[in-house]
Amino acid sequence: MASNQKKVTPQQKSYQHLQQKHEIKRPILKNCIKAFFVGGIICVVGQAITYFYIYFFNFTEQSAGNPTVATMVFLSMLLTGFGVYDRIGQFAGAGSAVPVTGFGNAVISACIEHRTEGFVLGVGGNIFKLAGSVILFGVFSAFVVALIKTLLTMWGVI
Amino acid sequence: MRKIRSFTVMVCLVLLTSCSQNQTAKNSQLALIKTTNPSPVITDKSVKRNHVEAIKKDVSSFPQIYDVAVIKGKKGTLISYKVKHLYRFRMKQIEKDITKMLEKKYPKENFTVSSDYKIFLETVRLDEKIKSGKISKKKAEKRLQELIKMTEDIK
Repeated sequence: MASNQKKVTPQQKSYQHLQQKHEIKRPILKNCIKAFFVGGIICVVGQAITYFYIYFFNFTEQSAGNPTVATMVFLSMLLTGFGVYDRIGQFAGAGSAVPVTGFGNAVISACIEHRTEGFVLGVGGNIFKLAGSVILFGVFSAFVVALIKTLLTMWGVI
Repeated sequence: MRKIRSFTVMVCLVLLTSCSQNQTAKNSQLALIKTTNPSPVITDKSVKRNHVEAIKKDVSSFPQIYDVAVIKGKKGTLISYKVKHLYRFRMKQIEKDITKMLEKKYPKENFTVSSDYKIFLETVRLDEKIKSGKISKKKAEKRLQELIKMTEDIK
């Protein structure tokens, strides 16, 4: 970084200053508010689906989580396929990527991108290109948490 | 785009009107959303109502919970309640405290305690069925045993 700065000519430096002056600032606060509300709306939909499973099926509060996650991922996959989730993602940013629906979006968008390379090497080989890291670190962190809980239970702490 | 907008408005209108129509809705229909405070249910004829109401009052005295439902049967008593949002991280501890208090105060009885929404909802539904006469005492007792089994499976 320091060597790069030395190479900059006075003309380039003045241009950089000028560029910084006219650069449009990122609306961080606005983006955060958008992400907060859209993420919140997605969670409200998830809560409504949980209540739906509790109310109409024989699911308890604990077991209703599994079908809810499956439904939310399925819905986000459909919306990604129809091109709606991309628009939501452009508007809300992290608000649409952080909830579990972002996982479905990551799977299907990689599928669509590599569809032209064929079903086996294209779709099959790249389907978890983006979501693979989520699965890997999710499984690993679950293993670490389970290990800690097992040890604490063995020692009689909890 | 215009079609989507008009469709969204229509769906909203349908939902709003359908929500405002049935004013005398059953308690169980809104049991998950609002406070229903159901009256205690007794499926065993030999038990006095005052006794079950006393149990409900004792459980309701915990400040962390609201909306207590009690069903007293021949083999045991099922108690379900909702936990206030700020205390939901301590649900296990609250459950332990309530069970401990009940076992200390009523040592001869068998209690099953749950904070699960499903158990609460089913308790309210059973109360409504008994009140409307749709279910006999025998069937209610059988349903209570099913609920107790369901509660124990969760734990």
